[in-house]
Amino acid sequence: MAELVGIDVGGTFTDFVYMDGPTLRVLKVPTTAQDQSQAVAQGLRSVGVSPRAVIVHGTTTATNALLERRGARTALLTTAGFRDVLAIGRQHRPHLYRLSQERPAELVPRDRRFTVRERVDAKGQVLQPLDVNELHQVAQAISACGAESLAVVFLFSFFNESHERQAAQVLRALVPSVRLSLSVELLPEYREYERTATTVINAYVQPLVSRYLEHLAAAVGGRKVWVMQSSGGTIDVAHAARQPVRLVLSGPAGGVVGAFKVAQAALNTDSPRIITFDMGGTSTDVALCPGDIPRTAESEIGGLPLKLPSVDIHTVGAGGGSIARVDSGGALRVGPMSAGAVPGPVCYGRGGRQVTVTDAHVVLGSLDPYRFLPDTSGALKNTRAALARLGAPLGMGAEATAMGVIRVANATMERALRRVSVEQGHDPRRYTLVPFGGAGPLHACELAEALGVRRIVVPRLPGVLSALGLVLADITFDASQALVRPTAALAKDLAPLKQHVSALRHRVVAALPGTPQLLASLDLRYAGQSYEIEVPLGLPVSTQHLDASVGAFHAAHSQRYGYQAKERAVECVAVRIRGSIPSGYSNDARMEVRPSTTDTLRPTNWRSVCMRRVRPETVPCYERNLLRPGHLLKGPALIFQYDTTILLRHGWTARIDKDLNAIIQRIPALDKDDP
Amino acid sequence: MTAYAPDPILLEVYRHRFAGVAEEMGATLRRTAYSPNIKERLDYSCALFDASGAMVAQAAHIPVHLGAMPASCAAALQAFPDWCEGDVIALNDPYAGGNHLPDITMVSPVFAGNEPIFFVASRAHHADVGGMSPGSLPLSTELCQEGIIIPPVKLVRRGKVNTDLLSIILRNVRTPQERRGDLEAQRAAHAVGERRLKALIQDAGPQELQAYAMHLKEYSERMTRAAIAMWPDGTFTFEDCLELPGGRTPVIRVCATIGGDAVTFDFAGTDPVMEGPLNTVLAVTCSACYYVVRCLVADDIPVNDGCFAPVTVTAPEGCLLHATDGAAVAGGNVETSQRITDVALGALAQALPNRIAAASQGTMNNVTIGGRDIHGHPYAYYETLGGGMGAGPTSDGLSGVHVHMSNTRNTPVEALEMQFPLRIREYSLREGSGGTGRFTGGEGMIREYELLRPAIVTMLSERRHVAPWGLAGGVAGACGANELRRAGGTRELLPGKFTRRLGATDRLRIKTPGGGGWGSAPGAAGSGP
Repeated sequence: MAELVGIDVGGTFTDFVYMDGPTLRVLKVPTTAQDQSQAVAQGLRSVGVSPRAVIVHGTTTATNALLERRGARTALLTTAGFRDVLAIGRQHRPHLYRLSQERPAELVPRDRRFTVRERVDAKGQVLQPLDVNELHQVAQAISACGAESLAVVFLFSFFNESHERQAAQVLRALVPSVRLSLSVELLPEYREYERTATTVINAYVQPLVSRYLEHLAAAVGGRKVWVMQSSGGTIDVAHAARQPVRLVLSGPAGGVVGAFKVAQAALNTDSPRIITFDMGGTSTDVALCPGDIPRTAESEIGGLPLKLPSVDIHTVGAGGGSIARVDSGGALRVGPMSAGAVPGPVCYGRGGRQVTVTDAHVVLGSLDPYRFLPDTSGALKNTRAALARLGAPLGMGAEATAMGVIRVANATMERALRRVSVEQGHDPRRYTLVPFGGAGPLHACELAEALGVRRIVVPRLPGVLSALGLVLADITFDASQALVRPTAALAKDLAPLKQHVSALRHRVVAALPGTPQLLASLDLRYAGQSYEIEVPLGLPVSTQHLDASVGAFHAAHSQRYGYQAKERAVECVAVRIRGSIPSGYSNDARMEVRPSTTDTLRPTNWRSVCMRRVRPETVPCYERNLLRPGHLLKGPALIFQYDTTILLRHGWTARIDKDLNAIIQRIPALDKDDP
Repeated sequence: MTAYAPDPILLEVYRHRFAGVAEEMGATLRRTAYSPNIKERLDYSCALFDASGAMVAQAAHIPVHLGAMPASCAAALQAFPDWCEGDVIALNDPYAGGNHLPDITMVSPVFAGNEPIFFVASRAHHADVGGMSPGSLPLSTELCQEGIIIPPVKLVRRGKVNTDLLSIILRNVRTPQERRGDLEAQRAAHAVGERRLKALIQDAGPQELQAYAMHLKEYSERMTRAAIAMWPDGTFTFEDCLELPGGRTPVIRVCATIGGDAVTFDFAGTDPVMEGPLNTVLAVTCSACYYVVRCLVADDIPVNDGCFAPVTVTAPEGCLLHATDGAAVAGGNVETSQRITDVALGALAQALPNRIAAASQGTMNNVTIGGRDIHGHPYAYYETLGGGMGAGPTSDGLSGVHVHMSNTRNTPVEALEMQFPLRIREYSLREGSGGTGRFTGGEGMIREYELLRPAIVTMLSERRHVAPWGLAGGVAGACGANELRRAGGTRELLPGKFTRRLGATDRLRIKTPGGGGWGSAPGAAGSGP
């Protein structure tokens, strides 16, 4: 069994999960924002990781460079006449009802956007050859503008890549110090703005990310490193350095992978249906996994579209640190402003005066401030007073206001959960909720009730689930290629599809170690539609497999959109292949768990908590690390652990499974139970 | 209602719930629609109404639908006092709840027991509804030329589609397959909206839902009134004009009166209904004024009937902003609505000089091209082009965006060329077209189409002669221009509005207007409104 270390960089902490055979160690080290590899080196020393261990790393270097606009001086080369595709975008303004508004700073300003005469038509035929003489002049200008990185995107290059390739060859000779990003290598798919944005993001973050990965190599001292991608799979350092655009949404991906793998074991199925719910301090990420980890090619970051496969995660700007206020119309609002880490919630006692969701939990008793605050003497009183102040104009006391804050925050969360489930045609009642992050397990029961969810799984280590996800993630590589043709035509002549599949297979296999499992898929739509659904394509390519894909498309369309149209022509838009190799750490390997020492479980103490109404009730409290397989708890109860609290409401029970996950279930008979 | 006095918590919870229903409808419509116009450009809106037809929530991408959706619901309610489960009304008649013919609206009831207690509505811009030119935005002189007119009719009765009616509609349009798909998508959206509302009704009971629908309207009204109360009282007038063939420039005049917590826009003095497609129905005039007020109120209040209560809009019947039955309105929705916004903002700029931006491009540059593709199949392409946004008191205007009454996406060049016998030769920003000033207006765009096969091209565009004004000493933005370039190098300046048969290899080069500048640039002479 390989030794694996998952290292996940977050805003505040860098989390380590070290799996050495059956033992598992966990560590949190403060993140070093300037150079994230410093915290990595520090953590590896503290944990005492063997030199043979393999590192799986989740880094936000690419994400932060993009969001904070700290990337390289980047230039863009496009087809003559299309210099401003990146600036125009989809021509809509960001805010519908603002007379004055601004956009995020451009990654490539006008004076670094260059064009060259060339044109390929919508069938891939060359209308105008690449003007190499002009390209020589452009190369001089690129050099003169001081660009460190260059994106090359020509119209219809996904049908005919010769001009982009030729331009790259010429430019490599003329301006060898400039790093090149070609759209045909990153995203050979149609829609010029999205393809341009994806290519430019790559060019923009590439120099920084490759320098970071060099630092990292030094920090890990020769250990093999895999890097998490937005898709939820990992890739080797060489590919990560060349195509860092594949990393920009990797931050929340590890958590979804971790939740999915935990659910696979806990629910004893390869394809669990779960909704992940990661509620942190300033934002909440939710993802619906319908038996597999959902991926999308329609993401957005920093005001730009990202068309590479990413774990399909919906984020809302509300979390434990979201600020509550009463607006001038008399409504209680929560978020999107957040108290952040400084000054933080009122209960932190660091000068925060605005009530947050965390403060509401403290006043209701569902959070125990003694567990996360050094000094609670004044903080509790101040928190209660702040809630009372907030509620005064509404004629509500501190507890009633606190319950209101939670309810409103939950309305935001519920809308996010509905967006990923009901809006996509999935019935949440058939799903298991997997909450994690600092605040997820506190809100899970109430949200489950609102959505009709009857089962919740709280992983054993909800605070480091992302790092655990890194270790459990497959090594993957995704490649795609535009192929725009009716499926009937593809069936009549299988050669083009076979050719595309074979070319993609080569790209994927070349990017991965060993022999990957290959999954092919097609982006299909009804002819005339402009939205595609990705459906599996059986290999090898055959008319039967193609027919099955078309059948799957009709079914998926019906499920997601409420109707299917079997009489209509179906059109293929793109072919995809994903190669994957299982991580070194098998999902079957169990963490070391001490067996249950006692059959009876006693609460460690009792707390006064407002669960359902303003009047508090006395609720038993348990320590998560004392719970053993087989233990059964009945709500109401609180289960404390070092980085989160599980709030078990009336009508719910929690059973501890063999891996120490808490399996929480609704008892129909107890729904109306009122002790 | 005392049993359901507004609870500040439930108020917020229901804001999310109602908005969520409208959003889910919109998500369904977008995903299931056929035409790029709806799917890619998001030219649609969905809304919820209470039993009286007052709007409760709206998921709007298109401000011009703001005031026009309530008018559709009102027309449907008036036409049909009797409702059954599963009924769906369709309409596009501008003189009975519509705004212009391409926008087809559906309205359907949501029952609790035997009574409809809510209505859901959707509106989508259909790329062709027949009429004298492909794309149905013709240079018409009367409504009948603009396409098939659908008064409020029960397209679906008790869940059964009236196939006779549907055949008539589909027989009268150029692209029946696409229309059928888009109408189905609207129905799918209604099914989703109805299902969600019924779940809420079952969960909380109809009374609570109805009460909070009302409370939310009152909430938005309170917020809007509080904002208007901060404006200085007074009466402010402004005028601007449209551009017609032959150099005619019909004038739009407004007199805005701010009094306490309410505002009135009176368009008396505006020129009468014209022989041309730029007339509007009153609902469109209302939409433009509601939009202006909405921009000046905190932008996170829920959009519902309450936002409109403090705003009164009047225009004498028979003027071009309150057209009488039969007058052509195809372009009023897309072009005149922009000018109404300009004059309303121009008037309020006198009261609120530090909040209002200079004139934006003031047009949507409507391009419709119709013909047959290489297989002989008919096609209709419709697109509107962005331009410069006016500079504001604190920032430059955005470039190459849709302004005010529209916010539709473009059609990607690569999507367009794969679907239509057209080629784009240039798509770029128009450097130097923004008006200068302390802050510079946004730049217009250049989009050059080459026809690969002969086709009929129609354009409806404005601001080709009268430039978007600057404000506070800022210079006006550049006028737009439409140019025909033919093989051999001949160039011809085309008017702002035309329908023409063009041949293969002909190129239509459209330059869209820039936005006006704001404030005097040091050492520069300005041009005020």
